[in-house]
Amino acid sequence: MAGILKPPGAFAVTPHKVSVCILIQMYAPPAMMSVPFPFSSVAQHNRFGLYLFALTKSCEDILEPKLDELINQLREIGDVLYQWLTDQLISRLSSLSSPDDLFNLFSDLRAILGGTDLSAVDDEQVVLDPNSNLGMMSIGIICMKGKLQVLPKISYCAQLQRFNVSTSVEIIATHDCGSVLLSDLHRRGVCHLLTNIGIYCKEALSSCPAYELPCLDDSSNELEALSEYENMDLENIVFEKVNKEIEARKKASEEVSFHLHAPKALFGLVEDIKVSAVSKSQGGDKCREASPSAHAPNDAMREFDSISGAFLRTNWQMQGYLMEQADAIEKHGSSFSLNSFELILRQLQKLAPELHRVHFLRYLNSLYHDDYFAALENLHRYFDYSAGTEGFDFAQPSIGCNSFGRYEIALLCLGMMHFHFGHPKQALDVLTEAVCLSQQHSNDTCLAYTLAAISNLLSEIGISTTTGILGSSYSPITSIGTMLSVQQQLFVLLKESFRRAESLKLKRLVAANHLAMAKFDLTHVQRPLLSFGPKTAMRLRTCPTNVCKELRLASHLISDFVSESSTMTTDGAFSTSWLKNLQKPMGSLVLTQENVSGKDSNAFQFCAQPSSIPGSVLQLVGSSYLLRATAWEAYGSAPLTRVNTLIYATCFSDGSSLSDAALAHVKLIQHLAVFKGYKEAFSALKIAEEKFLSVAKSRILLLKLQLLHERSLHRGHLKLAQKVCDELGVMASSVTGVDMDLKTEASLRHARTLLAANQFSEAAAVAHSLFCMCYKFNLQVENASVLLLLAEIHKKSGNAVLGIPYALASLSFCQLLNLDLLKASATLTLAELWLSFGPNHAKMASNLIQQALPLILGHGGLELRARAFIAEAKCLLSDPSFSVSQNPEAVLDPLRQASEELQVLEDHELAAEAFYLIAIVFDKLGRLAEREEAAALFKEYVLALENENRQDEVDPLLSTP
Amino acid sequence: MSSKESCRNELRSAIRQLSNRCLYSAAQWAAEQLVGIEQDPAKYTPTNTRFQRGSSSIRRRFRTNDITSTPVAGVSYVSTPVMEEDEVEDSDFYLLAKSYFDCREYRRAAHVLRDQTGRRSVFLRCYALYLAGEKRKEEEMIELEGPLGKSNAVNRELISLERELSTSWKNGTVDPFGLYLYGIVLKDKGNENLAHTVLVESVNSYPWNWNAWSELKSLCTSIDILNSLNLNNHWMKDYFLASAYQELRMHNESLTKYEYLQGTFSFSNYIQAQIAKAQYSLREFEQVEVIFEELLRNDPYRVDDMDMYSNVLYAKECFSALSYLAHRVFMTDKYRPESCCIIGNYYSLKGQHEKSVVYFRRALKLDKNYLSAWTLMGHEYVEMKNTPAAIDAYRRAVDINPRDYRAWYGLGQAYEMMHMPLYALHYFRKSVFLQPNDSRLWIAMAQCYETEQLHMLEEAIKCYRRAANCNDSEAIALNQLAKLHHALGRDEEAAFYYKKDLERMEAEEREGPNMVEALIFLATHCRAHGRFEEAEVYCTRLLDYTGPVSFTYLKNL
Repeated sequence: MAGILKPPGAFAVTPHKVSVCILIQMYAPPAMMSVPFPFSSVAQHNRFGLYLFALTKSCEDILEPKLDELINQLREIGDVLYQWLTDQLISRLSSLSSPDDLFNLFSDLRAILGGTDLSAVDDEQVVLDPNSNLGMMSIGIICMKGKLQVLPKISYCAQLQRFNVSTSVEIIATHDCGSVLLSDLHRRGVCHLLTNIGIYCKEALSSCPAYELPCLDDSSNELEALSEYENMDLENIVFEKVNKEIEARKKASEEVSFHLHAPKALFGLVEDIKVSAVSKSQGGDKCREASPSAHAPNDAMREFDSISGAFLRTNWQMQGYLMEQADAIEKHGSSFSLNSFELILRQLQKLAPELHRVHFLRYLNSLYHDDYFAALENLHRYFDYSAGTEGFDFAQPSIGCNSFGRYEIALLCLGMMHFHFGHPKQALDVLTEAVCLSQQHSNDTCLAYTLAAISNLLSEIGISTTTGILGSSYSPITSIGTMLSVQQQLFVLLKESFRRAESLKLKRLVAANHLAMAKFDLTHVQRPLLSFGPKTAMRLRTCPTNVCKELRLASHLISDFVSESSTMTTDGAFSTSWLKNLQKPMGSLVLTQENVSGKDSNAFQFCAQPSSIPGSVLQLVGSSYLLRATAWEAYGSAPLTRVNTLIYATCFSDGSSLSDAALAHVKLIQHLAVFKGYKEAFSALKIAEEKFLSVAKSRILLLKLQLLHERSLHRGHLKLAQKVCDELGVMASSVTGVDMDLKTEASLRHARTLLAANQFSEAAAVAHSLFCMCYKFNLQVENASVLLLLAEIHKKSGNAVLGIPYALASLSFCQLLNLDLLKASATLTLAELWLSFGPNHAKMASNLIQQALPLILGHGGLELRARAFIAEAKCLLSDPSFSVSQNPEAVLDPLRQASEELQVLEDHELAAEAFYLIAIVFDKLGRLAEREEAAALFKEYVLALENENRQDEVDPLLSTP
Repeated sequence: MSSKESCRNELRSAIRQLSNRCLYSAAQWAAEQLVGIEQDPAKYTPTNTRFQRGSSSIRRRFRTNDITSTPVAGVSYVSTPVMEEDEVEDSDFYLLAKSYFDCREYRRAAHVLRDQTGRRSVFLRCYALYLAGEKRKEEEMIELEGPLGKSNAVNRELISLERELSTSWKNGTVDPFGLYLYGIVLKDKGNENLAHTVLVESVNSYPWNWNAWSELKSLCTSIDILNSLNLNNHWMKDYFLASAYQELRMHNESLTKYEYLQGTFSFSNYIQAQIAKAQYSLREFEQVEVIFEELLRNDPYRVDDMDMYSNVLYAKECFSALSYLAHRVFMTDKYRPESCCIIGNYYSLKGQHEKSVVYFRRALKLDKNYLSAWTLMGHEYVEMKNTPAAIDAYRRAVDINPRDYRAWYGLGQAYEMMHMPLYALHYFRKSVFLQPNDSRLWIAMAQCYETEQLHMLEEAIKCYRRAANCNDSEAIALNQLAKLHHALGRDEEAAFYYKKDLERMEAEEREGPNMVEALIFLATHCRAHGRFEEAEVYCTRLLDYTGPVSFTYLKNL
């Protein structure tokens, strides 16, 4: 007996697997028809088969689905079959009341295999390519059976590859094993299994009371009788386990390492553990109550149960699980429940103190919950223990792991951590050390990543000069570090990192570098790097084609990964992703909703092969779309911005990190505000706020403040505007590290508020200092808008002569950086300035407006368009050669449009102006009734403007939507 | 302090009671203290007293004042009545059970006592069960140890024991020994607060059980917890406080306590060893060595605490003494963690680091939580240039006891060796935080700041200043301070530190390149500021040293 068979304690025959067996039976009932009973078509049958295949694959998963989840999955396969399948499954499961029933089940299964195997094998070998779905599926079933009988010692991938050669061998092997298994299934194990099945059913059925449980009493009686026996058996089991472990170690040296977290299986029996599990589950529930939106506790609890349950886990599975959790943490950010996950990790650490990756997960967990000290401590601990390579069995000495360990990675991580917590200077210091160390250890990969990290840091965080930071160190940067500006350094770094990444074939990094390059190209004018020698023609502009090129190159990444799908299966996370991909519909959610109306049962397509594209790649590609959106935003094409953001939101949202998703929402809502007015934007904002409840709060909050500010400026509610502005200023304070964008935004808005309050000199002062800051930190795009603001200030203060140079400067900046929309708006401002010189210059102004008008009409938001219309009308009105009575529509039409748009925008001031002009036109035309109407509206808006200023007691942030 | 005679009587009956309950280590401890009380010379033969006198003479050399004569005022000791045994006649079952127990057949012992109701029998049964569970736990740990580390083997008797003891505690039928057992069970189960209460109750009603005190000590992880304990004033409390202070790194406090206790227990080996431990922590190696020499003379087969002695010998590079010690413990009991550690030190001093690692490994196999072995193994790996292994070892030490500044320091050094000064700083900071008065740590940190990679001289200066303030024995800090100030162009400060360094060197009668350097700088400095007389003095002193420098200087003047 003992020779072939594993000791019963090591069996992983779980209720879930029993139900999979039942499903397999349903798939292939003994009567061999081409399409067995409940299935109406071959396609349906096949789909079910595919699903079963995925189920068997996911048996490697660390979590086993509960029965109700299984039923839910069944429901997704097809609603026609769903009822029948679940009924069958549940009735068969609950009819398992004695070991004999189990025996019958398994011998039936064997009959399926045994009855057809020889012929079936022939069939398959003749007809089926193992890569086809059916072939894969039958392998799956065979694997499944193998799995039921002995713990899989060979990974599935290996099995699949070997299948071509050895199908029949395996079938015979399983056949033998099956007979041994059935006769020898340990009584105790069977009884356990039966109770487990009972519990498994009960859990699921408590929610659907229709089903009875006839069998539970029986088995529990039996179990009680056996409990004494259990204790006596203990020593024996322990001994066998030790043996097994030795075996496993031998195995580990051959292939994938396999580790048994064996002792747990033992103590799962002891009452003590159960008690602790219960008490902990209560803790978990509390967490869930505390944060309703949190994602983790539910899963976590189950995970916890199954860890403390009597299952063995391979090292591989653990690593996979941990990786998956790492992704989840990143994706869900702080809504990922800190405590419950910490609990699991602690438990894991207790069970396997040498599994060091747990420390890394703890680091991530505390990082995303902004616990600086815990993060620091855990990071150091992880790298102290593992030297950057996991444990002693996961390290692959062949791949780049030298005897020094990989402490440069520790430095890289530390640098990123400081960056995350907003300590740019420390981050730079640490990263510089990482550069030195990776050079010393000639770890080029790490060097490339470090350089990329540094350039990321430089581009994200405002540092006016790096001398004293980078300059003091030994690095390739040093030699140029002292002469170049930050931007030039950044450029060099980017190039360097890119070159290195490409030569090392780090595809992801290459793509990331493309993105960084695109970002750089977007906002910086490139100058020749070295100032000696004959200069190449200086092209002092940004180059949109470069940006476009980089972005396209970044997107090529995904095709790289699709084409090499098979090589990416080394992750343990892979096996866990099987079912997840199944559940994902092929198209986007939006599209499937439309399809549902057609009642097409095939709409729910499975992809049998899991998507082999790692999440990180998807994320990168997704962010390339976001960056595209940003680029178009800058270049001034609103529709393209919107399209790219939508692509991102529909295709990449499930793989994206939380902050990226929030950014996409922000962009869409901003678009709404500019084109559809504030009402719609605020209702959308409400949805977004619910979605990103606690998470990425700053970004959504920022958006809310921006919208509030814009609206109150338009309405003329200046006190509110000032308050919101102050709020923004608080956000920009340097407690959490300096965010230059936020800082410029805050002072820009401050200046605009002052301008709206007609405090021109103060506004001009603020704008000036802002300009100086932008100049210092080389924020050229911001410079353009600041200059435009200065022009506006001078225009409004009646100092048009002073305004014109600013407008021109802004124009040239826009030209330089290809900021088309901003350029159009600068042109408009310039026209307005000319117009204010008097009727003599109306022609000039009109010309300018005509120049800008196509772009404004095509891409401009409500405000810009309205302004253009009004300016156009004003030009005509002040043009002495133009007579209103001859061509009234030429003036009235734009004015009407402007007034409509301004009404949507709730811009009282401009609306009043528009109606005033309309009234004047009607007056000239002598259409008195219409004149009165327009005048009444004018009055209404003027009053509204005044009212807004008066009602100021209401707390702005609470009362507004 | 109650009279020596009463102490003696208390201890004598305590030893009997403790060994009746098979609490052997506590009985051993009590017996050691009993013998440690100074004998009345009238009652004993001269040979006995001579032996004691002779040994104490060495100790007296290091005594500054006789504390015995000045008892602490205002402390009144409660006299706890010596407990009466409830079963005067030993029952037959008890005798059988005890003999089984003595043969380490714990379950048998427990079984024999299953129906006995006497308190002593009940305690012995529970204790036997506890030990049986512990034994099984240890075995399982070895059997089940997986490649990913240890399983969480548990003592499976804990639950039933806890149930039984908690009911009898609530009924009030439990004796102090039962309370002690209940305390450890609670502590093993992680219920530390209740364990505190129970253990305090136990020691208040029966203070002579040193096991209970030491369990209580291990629960006192901070001074606040220690102060919050409500303990009766018994002389055993002084023992407890002394060792608790030591645990909390309040070495001077603990030293005073021990010296005070020595008034009564003047020949206690235990106290001597503890004093040695405190002195060791204060880095008074000379005294430690003397104490240990005396200890070894009185108790030549002692292994306890000898690892510390070996550390001292190692630090002082007393090769022959260490060799002697290693051979002796090897003969006495080579499979004790302390012995392995001593042998490891011995090989390390011999430069055979591989062998030394083997022995440290063995020590750790015998006791996985043996802190100093982890640290020492880390040192060995550093010597062998296997930094990742060293880091791993140090990190384990730190995880066992996060207050072990030596291991933090080791981690820092290892990273510094790998040219990661910035990363190392984190660890140096930790160690300096734990031991702010150790100049070596500050100097290490300063050197880290000084490296070419970082070149953060201001920070380095701050660290050196701290080092100079805490009595830098190797006199690196002053010289470095002067140098750094000089390099930063602050000549006044540089001159100040050179002068200080010079004074120090004069006081310690040291000479060397530092002296020349200081003199040259001071001479130039004084001349530049027009203080020619001073400069002349320095130049004249320079004449003492060989080399043509001084002449040219003097000539220039």
